[in-house]
Amino acid sequence: MSGAADTRTRLTDQARSVVGNAQRLYGSGPADPVTDWARAVLHDARSRLDEPLRVALAGTLKAGKSTLLNALVGERVAATDAGECTRLVTWYRDAPSPTVLREDLDGRRGPVPFAQDGEGLRIDLRGVDPTRVGRLLVDWPSRGLAETTLVDTPGLDSIRETNSRRTLAFVTPEDRPSGADAVVYLMRHAHRNDVGFLEAFADLARGGAGGLGAVGASGTVVVLSRADEIGGGGLDAITTAGRVAEAYRADPALRPLCQTVVAVDGLLAETARTLRQAEFTALRALARAPRAEVDALLLSADRFCSAEPPAVVAEALASDPDGVRLDAPTRRALMDRFGVYGIRTATTVLRRGARTGRGVVDSVSLAEELVRRSGLEELREVLASRVVGRRDVHKARSALLAVEMVLARAPRPDTGPLAAELERVLTGAHEFTEQRLLAALRQGQVTMPADTQPEAERLLGGDGPDPRDRLGGADDVRAAALEALDRWRTRAESPLTSRAAAEVARAAVRSCEGVLTYL
Amino acid sequence: MKKDLVDLVKVARQAATAYGRPDLEKRLSTVSASVADDRARVLVMGEFKAGKTELVNAVLGGRALPTDAHRATTVPTVCVQGAQRSVMLARAVAGGEEQQQVAPAELAEHVTEAGNPDNRAGWSYAEVTLPVDALDGMRLVDTPGAGGLASPASVSTMAELPGADAVLLVCDGGRELTAPELALVRTASAVCPTVAVVLTRTDLHPHWRRIADLDRAHLDHAHESLRRVPVLPTSAALALHEEASLLAESGLPDLRELLRTEVVGGRHARRTRMAADEVLVVCEQLSARFRAERDALADPGRAQRISDELERSKARVVALRDRAARWQQTLNDGTQDLVSDIEYDLRDRLRTVTTDAEAALDDTDPAKTWEQFAPWLHQQVSAAVSTNVVWAEERTRWLAERVATHFAEDGAGVLPPMASPEGQVMAADPVGLLAAPDHEKFGLSQSLMIGMRGSYGGVLMIGMMTTIAGMALLNPFSVGAGLLLGSKTLVDERKRALRRRQSEAKQAVRRHVDDVIFQAGKNSRDMLREVQRTLRDHFTTTAEELERSLNATSQAAKAVEADGAKRQARLADVAAELERLEALEQRARRIRESVGSARLVGA
Repeated sequence: MSGAADTRTRLTDQARSVVGNAQRLYGSGPADPVTDWARAVLHDARSRLDEPLRVALAGTLKAGKSTLLNALVGERVAATDAGECTRLVTWYRDAPSPTVLREDLDGRRGPVPFAQDGEGLRIDLRGVDPTRVGRLLVDWPSRGLAETTLVDTPGLDSIRETNSRRTLAFVTPEDRPSGADAVVYLMRHAHRNDVGFLEAFADLARGGAGGLGAVGASGTVVVLSRADEIGGGGLDAITTAGRVAEAYRADPALRPLCQTVVAVDGLLAETARTLRQAEFTALRALARAPRAEVDALLLSADRFCSAEPPAVVAEALASDPDGVRLDAPTRRALMDRFGVYGIRTATTVLRRGARTGRGVVDSVSLAEELVRRSGLEELREVLASRVVGRRDVHKARSALLAVEMVLARAPRPDTGPLAAELERVLTGAHEFTEQRLLAALRQGQVTMPADTQPEAERLLGGDGPDPRDRLGGADDVRAAALEALDRWRTRAESPLTSRAAAEVARAAVRSCEGVLTYL
Repeated sequence: MKKDLVDLVKVARQAATAYGRPDLEKRLSTVSASVADDRARVLVMGEFKAGKTELVNAVLGGRALPTDAHRATTVPTVCVQGAQRSVMLARAVAGGEEQQQVAPAELAEHVTEAGNPDNRAGWSYAEVTLPVDALDGMRLVDTPGAGGLASPASVSTMAELPGADAVLLVCDGGRELTAPELALVRTASAVCPTVAVVLTRTDLHPHWRRIADLDRAHLDHAHESLRRVPVLPTSAALALHEEASLLAESGLPDLRELLRTEVVGGRHARRTRMAADEVLVVCEQLSARFRAERDALADPGRAQRISDELERSKARVVALRDRAARWQQTLNDGTQDLVSDIEYDLRDRLRTVTTDAEAALDDTDPAKTWEQFAPWLHQQVSAAVSTNVVWAEERTRWLAERVATHFAEDGAGVLPPMASPEGQVMAADPVGLLAAPDHEKFGLSQSLMIGMRGSYGGVLMIGMMTTIAGMALLNPFSVGAGLLLGSKTLVDERKRALRRRQSEAKQAVRRHVDDVIFQAGKNSRDMLREVQRTLRDHFTTTAEELERSLNATSQAAKAVEADGAKRQARLADVAAELERLEALEQRARRIRESVGSARLVGA
């Protein structure tokens, strides 16, 4: 696939050239507010091209954004809490040494003291009025942040309205391109409001002539983030949640607005990725205790954390061969970290491991199994193939949209050649054509005969950009690609095909050619 | 308790008949009707998938209603107590309501997304009769949740608020109240006597106590009146667990207690106070005549003075009945103002909807987006109309109170004294009577919804026509000619067609909104006329009753026997009558006081 990477890098180079030319053009001339604004936007666009991809975690209140961020990083960096917790847009970037910077609305920056206590960073604003703060920048040495800068955002339906406005101003600002190259949107269930926010992110009107959207459906992944609660915390909760996610993937209201929908138990994922040895031994002791007593204890979070469990349970918990004492504080800590579903799942997995002597027998294998069961693996695969794997496309799009916005809002008489260059890249790059047509197909702006539309979407990368995904999981990718190429070429050339459908068919042909070229 | 009350009203009615006052008897007959149906209406509301149906099941103590992890309830389900389990479905049809009995086991096929997505069957509600003690004195209404992808019309639940005795706002115990939820609590507490926030699934959320504290703080902070709104943590899973000892941990006993004392008890107390006050008013009017006669009999020299005084009072009562009386003017002017205010409010709200709708249509091709657009429009229009109805109800209540105050002020001195300060203003709980039986069952909102459904169907037809027209233009064969003309012309042709579709869609929106304004405006005008008529009749009748009482009293005072022996005998008779009425009065007072103290315990 190095060839495919080459074309994408070519796209980045083209974007770099467009932005560079724009910077040169706007570098001359008067220092009026509009030109200053244009320079700032272009400067930001240029530096973004060389930085890691910016992925925002957005969603409604308590959807589990910070928890999922920690799960993706593999460390507890973002503080989480039962109440509304994240009140400022917070950037997490990879860096050689940890620092936290505060950036005020007027652009001034200053260091902020912080402490890490295993529950995430405690950031001390020292009495600074939070309404003055634009964002927090957390520099954190972590492999989990090497390829992407993750941006945590306040809940979108907060009672404290200013918090929600911060998120919207970041993802869909009025006066500059979106601060995010891609969005992971978290929700508990698909609420009408969620659809409204997703529409704003995919808003085609704001994507300009490119028709690519502020972030675009291609840059949006929806996560059903509290998968454990959907099935009432039962052992099959994640399976139930997976079914719900599948139903949402096919839902006509959500389908045009995102790449895909994935179910994840964020809490379990976070805990599994940061599992401690002491937690493993505590869970193992719990799994060794008589099952009936443990089940009775797990009827509710309150019971599990109770200081005085029924005598028979207390006895069972006190008689662990390794001498692990499951006292109330230990149990409370377990509940905070795993939740009811997490503890039920972990003990079930450990019991099976102990019985069979295979599978989950130590903390490493337990962590792996819990990550698998949390749905995080699937999300990471989706992100790797569709978001991070296509970072050059996403970043180039952000940069080009910035130039487009500058041209529209800070017009000058001498921008003709720049506008032409921009137009050439936006319409010439096959990656953008794919995104544009995919969005048009899913939103129904372009219709194909019903029997050909699913394949068209797939070939254009609707199920993922990998050749196998494009060809519907065929074993012999080459043969399938050749066959599809042939069929779609015929369709593209047929006089009976409508103009719009022919455009789709031509794009599908190019996508097939792309697959064949780099096989 | 209830039997005592029914009995009291019955005895008072007999007394009114016996003393030759059919007018007072008639007045009491309305009271007995309202006392007879004493079931409090409890709405269970909240965002979709918050656990409303689960909670209702927990209150009922069994899985009577269907629940599912993914599919939500789409039809309001009314639970009532009855000897046998049965399910009745109802939908509005021209000129009334069509009802259909179905097997209880089939309920899920009719009221959830599983069998009836988007409520395509068009049921307006399902009534489930269950032999469950927890439903004693209550109609428990499980509503479709707000905000789900499949429940666009659910805002119509808002229009049910004015008729409700209690609203339970159900929220997931894993997160704080959101802004829309807080707004709902605020609206509900303006029109319903009892509002409570119920947290669900506390078994799954270790931090529900924090959430409860945060919600408490949000409520306290939001508005003074929300301080009395309780936050009740519950777990349906624990309540429905086979092990009965878990019930105590489920929070359900507290909720049931709230429903029993504050909601059912509160409604009973309100009705009892109203009925007892009515009986006291009647007693007072009946005994006034005997008191005057007794005074005249005891001292024949005062008879003339008493009679003169009564004549003066009569003149004032006549003035009170007069069309020029202040309360009449308050009522007439107030109704007129209300009609125009409410209509203005509705127009204003719908104008905003129209503007938003047109802006949305400007950015899209209606041929493609109409399917999503039509439900959105429906939701916005329902929300506007619902808010308008709630607001109208509040304003109407305020008007009724003002009229009652003016009536009481105008009649100060001639009106019989009331048992309590609140009784003086709300002499006969006029609003309570208005809101009585027929408003109970999806009455007011139903007529609105029918009107809207009717006109909505119209738009849907126009909408489909637009869609078909749009499809035809994009059909490969019909643009065949365009292909020959070259791409530029084609684009222009398509733009023109798009513009035409957009303007057709905008016209459809405006027509729909006009229809709604006409229908909803007519409904609210009719409702207000009805209110005006009811209030006028009520107070005029009260004045007429007073006049008759005064007539009877002055006649009794004049007709004092000259013969000493006969006078003594009559005096003894009159004293005995007064004693009987006194006893009835005492009884009414006792009953009234009994609910007064019961309410204190509940609070």
